[in-house]
Parts: sequence; C-alpha cells; structure tokens
Amino acid sequence: MKKSLLLSFIFVLALVVQTWAQSKTVTGRVTDQETGQGLPGVSVLVKGTSVGTATSTDGTYAINVPSNGNTLVFRFIGYATVERSIGNASTVNVALGIDSKQLSEVVVTAQGIERDVRSLGYSTQSVQGEAVSQRSEPNVLNALQGKVSGVNITSSSGAPGASTNINIRGITSFNGSNQPLIVVDGIIFSNDVDNSQNTLFGSQPSGRISDINPESIESINVLKGPAASVLYGSRASAGVIVITTKSGKGLKGKTEVTFNSSVNWQKAAYLPEFQNEYGQGTQNNYVNNTTSSWGPRFGTEGYETVTTSWGETVPYQAYPDNIKDFYQTGRILQNSLNIAGGDQDNNFAAAISSTLQDGIVRESDFNRHNVQVGGNSKLKNGIKLGGTITYVKTSQRNTTMGNGGSAFGQITRIPRSYDLMGMPYKDESGNSIYFLPGQNHPLWSLENEFFESNVDRVFGNLSIGYDITDWLNVSYRVTADTYTDNRRQVLRIGAARAPQGQIDQDMRFRSELNGDLLIRANKNDIFTEGLNASLLLGQNINQRTSRQSGVVAEALTIPGFDNVSNGSVFTGSYESNTQRRLVGHYGQLSLDYKSYLFLELSGRVDQSSTLPANENAYFYPSVALSFVPTEAFNFQSDILSYAKVRGNIARVGRDADPYLLQSVFTTAGFGNNVASISFPLSVGGTSIPGFQIGSRIGSMNLKPEFVTSYEGGVNLGFFNNRLGIDFTYFNTKSTNQIFNVAVSNSSGYDTRTTNVGEMQNKGIELQLSGTPIKTGDFTWDVLVNFTRIRNKVIEIAPDVENSTITGNSFIGIAPSIAVGQPYGVIIGTANARNEAGELLINPSTGGFMPGVAGEVIANPQKDWIAGITNTFNYKGLALSALFDINKGGQLYSFSQVDMRSGGQVEMTGVDRDQPRILPGVIANGDGTYRPNNIQVSAQTYWSGLGGLASEAAVFDATAYRLREVSLAYSLPKAMLNRTPFGGVTVSVSGRNLFLYAPGFPGDPEINTQGAGNIQGLDLNGVPATKNYGVNLRVTF
Amino acid sequence: MKFSKIKKNIVFGVTIALSTALTSCSDYLDINATPNNPTEVPPSTLLPTGLAGSAFANANDLNRFASVIMSVTAGAAGSPASWDRYNTDGADFGNQWRFEIYGGALVNYDQLISVAEEINAYSYVGIAKIMKAYTFTLATDVWGDVPYSEALQGDENTQPRLDEQRDIYLGNSEKGIQSLFDLVREGLADLDRASAVNPGNDDLVYGGDISDWKRAGNTLLLKLATQISVVEPEVARSVIEEVVQGGSYIVNNDQNLSVKFGGQVGSQSPIYTYTYNSSFSTDQLISTRFVSLLQSLNDPRLPQFVTKPTGEYVTIDNGFAGTAPKAADRSMFSTYVTGENGVGPVRLITNWQRAFMLAEAAVRLGTTGDPQTLYAEGIRASMKSAGIADADIDIYFTNNPNVVTLTGSDENKIQQIITQKYISMYGNGLEQWNDWRRTGYPTLAPHQNAVGIDGTRPVRAQYINQEVARNPNFPNNIYPNVPVWWDVD
Repeated sequence: MKKSLLLSFIFVLALVVQTWAQSKTVTGRVTDQETGQGLPGVSVLVKGTSVGTATSTDGTYAINVPSNGNTLVFRFIGYATVERSIGNASTVNVALGIDSKQLSEVVVTAQGIERDVRSLGYSTQSVQGEAVSQRSEPNVLNALQGKVSGVNITSSSGAPGASTNINIRGITSFNGSNQPLIVVDGIIFSNDVDNSQNTLFGSQPSGRISDINPESIESINVLKGPAASVLYGSRASAGVIVITTKSGKGLKGKTEVTFNSSVNWQKAAYLPEFQNEYGQGTQNNYVNNTTSSWGPRFGTEGYETVTTSWGETVPYQAYPDNIKDFYQTGRILQNSLNIAGGDQDNNFAAAISSTLQDGIVRESDFNRHNVQVGGNSKLKNGIKLGGTITYVKTSQRNTTMGNGGSAFGQITRIPRSYDLMGMPYKDESGNSIYFLPGQNHPLWSLENEFFESNVDRVFGNLSIGYDITDWLNVSYRVTADTYTDNRRQVLRIGAARAPQGQIDQDMRFRSELNGDLLIRANKNDIFTEGLNASLLLGQNINQRTSRQSGVVAEALTIPGFDNVSNGSVFTGSYESNTQRRLVGHYGQLSLDYKSYLFLELSGRVDQSSTLPANENAYFYPSVALSFVPTEAFNFQSDILSYAKVRGNIARVGRDADPYLLQSVFTTAGFGNNVASISFPLSVGGTSIPGFQIGSRIGSMNLKPEFVTSYEGGVNLGFFNNRLGIDFTYFNTKSTNQIFNVAVSNSSGYDTRTTNVGEMQNKGIELQLSGTPIKTGDFTWDVLVNFTRIRNKVIEIAPDVENSTITGNSFIGIAPSIAVGQPYGVIIGTANARNEAGELLINPSTGGFMPGVAGEVIANPQKDWIAGITNTFNYKGLALSALFDINKGGQLYSFSQVDMRSGGQVEMTGVDRDQPRILPGVIANGDGTYRPNNIQVSAQTYWSGLGGLASEAAVFDATAYRLREVSLAYSLPKAMLNRTPFGGVTVSVSGRNLFLYAPGFPGDPEINTQGAGNIQGLDLNGVPATKNYGVNLRVTF
Repeated sequence: MKFSKIKKNIVFGVTIALSTALTSCSDYLDINATPNNPTEVPPSTLLPTGLAGSAFANANDLNRFASVIMSVTAGAAGSPASWDRYNTDGADFGNQWRFEIYGGALVNYDQLISVAEEINAYSYVGIAKIMKAYTFTLATDVWGDVPYSEALQGDENTQPRLDEQRDIYLGNSEKGIQSLFDLVREGLADLDRASAVNPGNDDLVYGGDISDWKRAGNTLLLKLATQISVVEPEVARSVIEEVVQGGSYIVNNDQNLSVKFGGQVGSQSPIYTYTYNSSFSTDQLISTRFVSLLQSLNDPRLPQFVTKPTGEYVTIDNGFAGTAPKAADRSMFSTYVTGENGVGPVRLITNWQRAFMLAEAAVRLGTTGDPQTLYAEGIRASMKSAGIADADIDIYFTNNPNVVTLTGSDENKIQQIITQKYISMYGNGLEQWNDWRRTGYPTLAPHQNAVGIDGTRPVRAQYINQEVARNPNFPNNIYPNVPVWWDVD
C-alpha cells in the first residue's frame, strides 16, 4: 500500500508536462454586474482548448489565445457563465451577473476545500455567521440549535459555561466519542469535556468549543455523513463542523472595522409549580429536620409557630417563592472588535473580544477573552502564505451538583415552610445553619463548595502553497491547538461531602498537532469536452498529547484559605499522560461532466499508534454521485428551476483510545461515597503502597471499528428557487465496535475491551427553504429543518444482552446499550406487572410489589426534531423567530422524584387529606387478580409511586419551544452619510422565551452529566434559563 | 512551458518528505505502552490491597446494613432508615460485591497468589488463600449461592455459574468445587513451607508474623464449622475437634485477625468514616434497643461501646418515624469500634469469638472443652478488649452470676452464649447477623413500621442488579426473606 501510494504521487507529479504554441494576447477586466467592482479568481478559458487563466485581485486578466481559439469562457461560482467571441479584439471586458437559476453556493468541505454545492454527492448544510451572532447565547453550539437538520444539540443546564452535547446523524460508536470533529480555519479544534470529578457529583465543566467567540464566525458548514468527512479520516466518523472565521478575503480592498456589543439577562426558566398549603413534616406531623412537606396544613390550630431544628421559634407558613428567589438574574456582557481588510490574495483580520457572564446561580460565572490575528499573502514569486493565531483565556466557576451533599442536591428538598432566603444561612464563625443534619444550607454551599477552571489556549495554523502550474497546486499546512486547564474543586471545611474540607487541584494540558500535505491537480476537458477532473492527494500526520496531574488536599486547617498547602493530608496525588499518533494518506478523484454529472472517488489509509503494531493500518473508501437533470436535459421552468439527485456509499474506520491493549494495575482504593480509602495508606506513621488489578480486561488483538453509510437525496428548487427542498435518507451501520463490554463482576473484573457488536442508524433529513413573500421592501423567509433518526443496537457480543455505557452512573440506573433497543437506554427497576401488564400491588402494604431490576425503563432518544425559522425583513427591520420541537425521548429525573415524594409540588397538595389507591391489582393466589382496593395516605401514595431507581422517575421530554427571537433595526445608509459609520444595527434578542412540555413539569432540556454518551439524566442540576438582551453592531 | 528549477525542487522535496515519513512510520507509531500504570507489581503491594478490601467488605456498607438489621444501630435517614424497615433490594451493595469483594479483595488475592508463587513467596500465598476463603465465606453468608469455583477467571469465564452454598462450604468433587475448609487447609500448608520473601509492614494484620496467621487460619476453620453446625453437625464436630486438638488457634486478644487503618482522611476505617466524616454520617445512630439490653445486664461495656455527647444516651428505636435527635447529641459507635481518628482496627475474627464458638460447640456438639469456662473466657476477653480493668470484670462476675453462668437446657445455654457473643461482636454486624440467622438469638423484637417483603427481618441480601443484568446464571426472584442453606430454623 505504501509503495503504490508513493508511486502514484510521483506519477502525478512527474509525468504530465505540456508545452503549447501561443499566438495572441487578450487582456480585459471581469466585473460584478451589480456593483461594478472587479471580480478576482474568475476562470477564463479559451473554448475548445485547455488554455486558461484566472483574474487577479482587481478582476483583470491576460491570456495567450492560440491561433485556433476564438471564444473565451468566463466561469465563476455563483455567477452565470458567459461566453464571448474574440474576433479581432485584444481587450474583452465582461460583467458577470449572479446566476439565480443555480442554487449556487460555495461551501467549505473537508480539508478546507471550497466546493460548489451542486457538485456534492452528499449532504452538507451551511449556516452563515449572522445566524449565530448576537443571539443571547455565548456558546456557538447552543446558537446552532434548530438550525441544521440531522443534528441533535442538547445543552446540559443553565450553569454558565456548561457543556453542550451534539450528535450528527445519531450515535455511531458504542464507546468512542460521538461528538463531531470541530475544525476551525483548518485547525482540528478540541471540544473535549474533561471531567475532574465523578459526573454524578460534578459541576459541569465546559466543552472546549466554548472558547470560540460566536461573533468571530463567518460561516459554519456541517458535514453530516461519512462521505462528506472521509478525508478527515478516523476522527470524522461522527461528522464534522467546519467553522470559518472572518477574514478580509471578501472585502475587495476595503478595510472594515466592526464593533459588537451586547448585554443579556438570564432567568431560571420553567421551575415547577409548588403547593403552598402544607409545610415541613411527615404524616401530618411537624418534623423539623425532614426534607418532606407532608406536615400539617398551614393554619392548623397549635401550629401557629414551630421550633426549628436549631431551636428557633418561627411562624409556620408557606414561603411560596423560596425556590424561585434562590436564583438570581444572570448577566452576559459581550463586546468584540473585528478589523479586517484586503482582497482575495492579500488580506488580514484581527479581532479581540470579551464575554463576561454571571450565572443564575450565585457565585457562578464564565468569562472568555479572545485575541485573534491572521492573514494571507501571495508573494511575487507566486508562493501563497497564510496563517492565523488565536489566544483565548477562559475561566469558569460553578458549584458542585448532584444528589445529596450539594446545593442542588438540597434545593429539590426544601420544605415549603422553610424560609430559605429569609433566614440567616451561616453563623458568626461562618458555619452553615440548616434544618437538615449533615447537610448545608444551599447558599452556604454556593459560597463554599465550588469548581474553578482557568484555561489558557492558543491555536493557529500556518500554510504555504504554490501553483506549480495553472493546474497543479501543492500546499503544506501545519496546525496546532494547545491549552492548559488549571482546575480545582474546593470543598471548604464543613462541606457535606468532605466535612474536614478538601481541595482537589487538577492540572491539565492538551495539545494536537497536524501536518497536512495537499497536492491538487485540476484539468478541464480531458478526454472529451466538458469532462473536468480534479485529483487531490494528501498526507496527514497527527499527534495528540494530554497530560494531567493533580493532588487532593484533605483535612484543611485554616477556614477560607483555598490552597492545597492548607491540607494536612494529601490523598490521591495522580498523574496521567497519553499520547497517540496517526499517519494518514488519502486521495480523491472528482469528475465533473458538463456541470450536471459528478462522480467522486475517495480513499484513505490510516495507521494508528493505538492499534496492535502489526495490524495498525486500515483502509476505507467512498464513492459519491450527483446528477442535475435540470441542467442535463435543460428543462428548467418557472415552476421547477433546479433539481439534483445524489447518492453515496462510504465507510470510515476508527482507531481505539490509547493504551487499551493491555490489562494494567492501578493504585488501589476502596469504598464509595459512604466511606473510602485510597492507597498509599498511612498506617501508624508508615506509608503503605497498594496496587490492584484494573477492572478492565485488555485485548491484544483489537481492530479498528467501522461505520458504513448509504445516503441518497434530492435537492429541488421551485419558482425561481423561491422554494427549496433538500431531502436526505441515510442508513449507517456501525460494526466491530471497540467496547468495554460489561462482564459478570464475579469474574473479578467489570469490563473487557473487545471488538463487538453492530448498531444501525436510519434517518431522514429535510430542509425546506422558502420565500413566501417578496415585494419591494418586504420579504418573508422560512427555513424548516426536520430530522428523524431511528437508532438500534443490533448485537452486542455473544451471550450479552446489555451493557453499561462507560461513565459514571448510579447503581440501578444504568445508561446502557441493549440488544434491540436504541443506544443509551436506561436500565433500572421496573414495577412488577402481571401478564396483562397491570401493576402488582403488595396486599400487606398497598404499595407496589418489589420491582423487577434490569429492565429498560427509559429511552432518551428523540422521535424527531424540527426547527422552523421565520425571518421578516422590511427596510432596515429584521425579525427572526426560531420555533423548535423535540418530540419524544425520555428523561430520568431525580429532581422531580425528590420534589414529588417530598410533597412539594403542586399535585401533591391537591386533596391531600383524602385517602387514595395506587393503580394496580392484587394477586389472589390462584392466578387471578382483583383490583387494588387498599387505601393509603397521600404521602404513601406519592412516595409509593417510586423511589429514585424506578420507572416512576421517567418522564416524556417532548418540548415545543420558542427557541430564539431577534428583532434588529439597521439605520438607513442615508442617515449615516455624515458619520464615520458604515452601518449601525441595534437589536433585541431572546432565547427559550416560551416552552410547552406536556410530559415534564419543567424544562426537559437538561442533561446533568454534560456532553457525552450518557444522556437523559436529570440528577439534581441547575435548571435551564431564559435569556433576553439588547445588541449593538457598528461597522466603520 | 517547463518546470522551473524551484518547481522541480518542490516536487523533489515533497517526494523525499513523503518517503521519509512513510519509512519511519513504524517507529513514529510505536508509542502505545502506557506510562500511567504498571503491568507487573510485587506481592507487597497486593497484600495490603486484599486485606483492606476484605475489611471494607466486612465493615463498610454491609456493616451499616447488618448493624441496623440486628437492632444495634437505628436508621435516621437514607439507606439505614430504609433497612430499618426491612427494605432492601438488588440496588443495595453493588459497590460491595463489585469493588470490595469480587473485584476488590478476591481478584487481588488471586493476583497475589500467582505473583507470589512465581517467586516462591509461600507466606504470601498462604495468607492470600486464607483471606480468600474468609472473603468467599462473607459473600456466601450474605447472598447464599454465589459464583465460587468458576469465579475470578476474567476473560476465561465472563459468566461464571453459581455454586450452591453447601458445595462452597463442603466441596463437591463431581462439580470440581473445592471446599472452603480445604482452601484454608491449603493456605495453612503454604504457611508451613519455606518462603523466599515474607511480609512486613504490608501485612496490615500481623505485621508479617506467620505463626499468628496460622492461628488465624485455624480459627477461620472454627468459624466455618460453627456456621454449618446446625445443618451439618458431623462435619462441624470433626473440624472443630481437629482444630482444638491441633492447639494452634487464637487464644488472646493480640492475636485477633483485625485489619489496621490509619488516622488520616483516606486511610481511615470505613466505620469511622461513615460514622464521623461523611455526608452519610447522620444516617444512623445507636439503637435504643441495644442500649437497653446492655443496661438490663448492667454491662460495664456500655459506656465503652456507645458515646454520649450530652452525658445521656441519645438514641432512637428501630423503625422510628419521628424527629431524630440533633446530630451532635447522638449516641454513636465509640472509639472502641472506630479507633482513635479512625485507626480501627476492623476486627474480622476475634479471641472472644473463638471462645464463644468453642463454648457453643461444646454444648451443641459435645466437643472438647468446658462450656462454662469458655463462655466466661469469651465475656472476659471482650470486656478486656473494651478497656474494662480485670478487677472491674471480677466485680461484674461476682455481682451478676445469672448473666455469666450458663444454666438450664442446652438451648437455653446456647441462647446465653449467642446473646453475649452478640454484645461482644459489637461493630461487626455481619457476624451478629450470621449468628442470629443460624440460631435465632439474640431474641429481637420486630422493628417499628416494618415493611420488607412480608414484614419479616431480612435473612439474606438480594443479588445485585448488575449481576442479574450481566450474568444469566443469576436468578431474579430470590428476595431477602428466603433463608440461605445453613439457616434452617
């Protein structure tokens, strides 16, 4: 394989050399019909020959026309092609008009190659920078929600900087990351979410895409399937998001300065409705240290005042807003300044920006500062140089979350009669005052239990390119992305999870280097007129490094001194380093016949360090075909203006994570959150080291995993492209999955790494774009995105019916793969039922019979997603509204169960004094059943509906949402004539302003464990937010 | 038009770069040996892992559970409150099974055995086999039939079968099951062999004293025999007689099989951590019933066993549904159980336990030894361990002849023995629960508000949900009200 590749390179480079006769020079200038400005980069061809050139930056050209040439062809993407006969003229000037018949759109595809959309045999979807700019949202992924079909985006919570999960065309890997590859200006850009803590109790660290400032984005192109992303290799099997930042390329010699400023406010959104009739207690008695609100009704005689657990006498009454007032109004302040100038060949861009966010949770924030410079230049000798470099400083502070000892573990357990915000929450020495022993007042926790992250990141690229001839280009690009994340979790003295205090300092470093060689050859009219070919050969050398080290300081001495030197015991000092390398070679041949038939063949060979050394190379191909009948048969009409059909078959291989081949020993430790130790133990003044065999069994014959995809689609344009339809069907099959299969723990191990399984994703993507009204000053544009994906685990491993997904999960609530089920179903305890499906009731208690463990009880995958954007433009006014629907999918909610079994939520207060009967039947013992007739109290009823690990904690996550609204006004140019401003736009924007979630008493878009393969769990986290704000954009 | 020189150079350079990259590929990619974890470790790093794992298995969550079930502690919140009403299911003790027992102590004893055998370190091999037997006993006593002969084989068998508890105790050559007795005997034989390397500080129990380990192994044989003495009296009698005749068993408190911990966070005994230094520390306190029992017997160990921050015993009854007392006021496990600052030890097999076992066997099976002497020895050893001066013990014996003297029928004597054993095993809930399930003693009143499966005290733990999900050999319908094999009354 190596040899044949090498030979082909040499063949292409060395063999094709041509000379030809010349007779006459024609010069001229190509301009834009509308603006009159010169168009750079227009292809100028002598018809019937292979002679051609391109216009320079001002649109001028000079071409040597052979004696047999008499017509010039001017071609430029997005413009109608023009042919001019030369005759005797020595100057030919042409004005090109925009081609309205073509849905002509240039997109940035794999490896930064710009392509005409019509030539693509696969689906991509691009979003312009304006669509994510000034949208009351500092995270670009959240701002993409509802705007791209085939893409499922779920934010974790309203905590500032919290990560956002994104999956393109479903989940394709059992164990690997299913987040798409992010590429920013050619730089492979880390969107890793590093969790310092167990995600059940963590604090939602950022996905590193949050280092991108949305205001700096020129365009985003989403490469959805393997065919689109095959050139990126192994890493792109979950799709690619190609982000291009603003540059001076399109400015045609001008320099433009843009200033963006916005302020947004955030509110905790869609908190549950509470009952306000009954206070703290159980079984109608006041109990001052229970989290339940099953106490006496307010106003009951003898309960005018009560004594708190710390001995104070207080009135017994409802505090209706005690939870609402716990949240503050968050604020996001964003400012950015972009300077860009130049033209196609020589240009520069610089940007600085700052984002300052205070969260809805007190003492939480997210701050980001970016500085970016870049530029491109074409030297006199023809060498093209380009580069960008960006420095980002991001800091985040969040509180710890999760069940039990955290602010959010408590906030769902606040009795209705507890004056959460009105009572002092700490005493003079700073200790928490709270009703529940062993726990802390949530406000105390916010101040004293927190997670901090400080990221310093640099990423950039440098490329050098050269046109060896007019049809052959060679370039080399080096990209680097590197950051340090200096983190710590501080639990001050008194924290419930570490009563003596604990500081966990976690230093992380990550870097990725890529070297890419690209050789591109284009030849037109080969073999026959109208058959154009381009060949791309590439090599990629990749290295990824991560380093992590840290220390946990325990038993702190000085209150409030948040430094590891405050510890008197140091446990769990750790170090973890990984490095992986990959070398890839790839080639792509694109054929274009008369701009209506396109064929593309691609192949890539990767060699990865993470696979067994003797079998570390793997090959994968793709073929894509696209056909434009409207062009081929020339049957464009006013009704059907454009039609294209396309299809492809592609396969992408993917390597393992580093160091999976061997079984290893790890530093020993025992216990859970009840009690734990970690070696080395300090016993009687002696330090005793201890190691244990790791819980994972390695495999020395691991192979790459593959995704094979079949995709077909049509693009249709009607009524002069006033209505556009883009439909795609895809079917992907994931095989040979590298997975840690759960094994019986009595084997001594928890998992074994192996290649197993098969998973399928079938789906449709539909985009409808239309302009229902376009009259003079008024236009109304509609964009609809629809996605429906069906995922199914076909097979896991022999004799394995289900397996837990790698990650943290509570016992008995296991996010899993299960044969015949969609990825990520939650396996827990289902209520016992008889053959008829009726719930079984325990005749001695009136409660449910013991549940059946190991059952699938929730499926977090959505039935379908739709986003509808309506945009209205009237003169300088633009109103845009995005409404989206997430249909189906289930959410497993600790928070709701807490509030329901604790008697806090509204429904538990209705007819509370009435006895009730759980739905179900009682076994008669002879195979027959009688309806349950055992009365229980409201408390028993609502608690009996299920504990934390049961199916009663499962809710339908369907949501209808007004995701985004923006109203912008651009001042008329006439008003700005005598000012230095080129444009002034003011806008108001809002997010998540309306929600209808019929199956869930809150906002179901919550995902406490953050971006990753575990989804659909609401484990006592921060609620979602509503954002609204005002924005200003000024250009000079 | 021809290639200029510069163009040729570029072509040449690219070709060279490519071929260089390709040929050096294999070195460039040979970086997959982990720098983060060792692939081989010495026996001295595996022994403390196993010992601490066994101690956690006995003293962490299973002890929280069993102490509540045995009316020693009472649940104020969380899981203990639920257990106090007899509620337990397959969601309980997953961590114990997965990471303390099978994936903790047991798998590492196996690692230790194979590493130590390679270098002829037979003292390590012997200790590992004895402790492996102890830990398997713990598992089968709690869950009944468990994977044993096919367990711990990793990739070789990822779905081991369950062995019947009877076969685990007694062996079954047809099924290739070695009895726990034989496993212990094998370990004892290894201890008799010359050993190339011997443990020192890494032995968290005896600091490397092999003769103490032999005593511990023989005393473990007594414990195994005692556990099956109702259902298999002949086997029990012969094993006990064999050990007694051998004369090498634990005979003083210094010889207890007890695992030491440290006084710092991260090194502490689990009982200390969950009692004093965890967000679960307010989940349980000492039961009113246990305090009342000791008060009714005028037992001098009460103030040594149970704290009283307010000067009075502040406790709740088992199953209590009202307002629990303030956390700071509660009576809890004393330093007798937790050790100063959590140094422990966690007592797995003790001298007084041995004395009570022999006393019971003498009554029940007629084995060698005077029941009354052994009974009194057990009480004295326990009181001494609790810090009661010899003179005070004598005074107690003088003033409470009805407590310290065995009277009445054999059954009555066994009740007396097990009741005193129950008191003396304070802090080791599992052994208290084992004895109660086997003999019915001490007589415990039902807890308030009891629910459970049928309102009765649990007599086993339900198989953990993970095993039910992962291994089809595990039945899904054995609830905590189903007795294990040796529990016949």
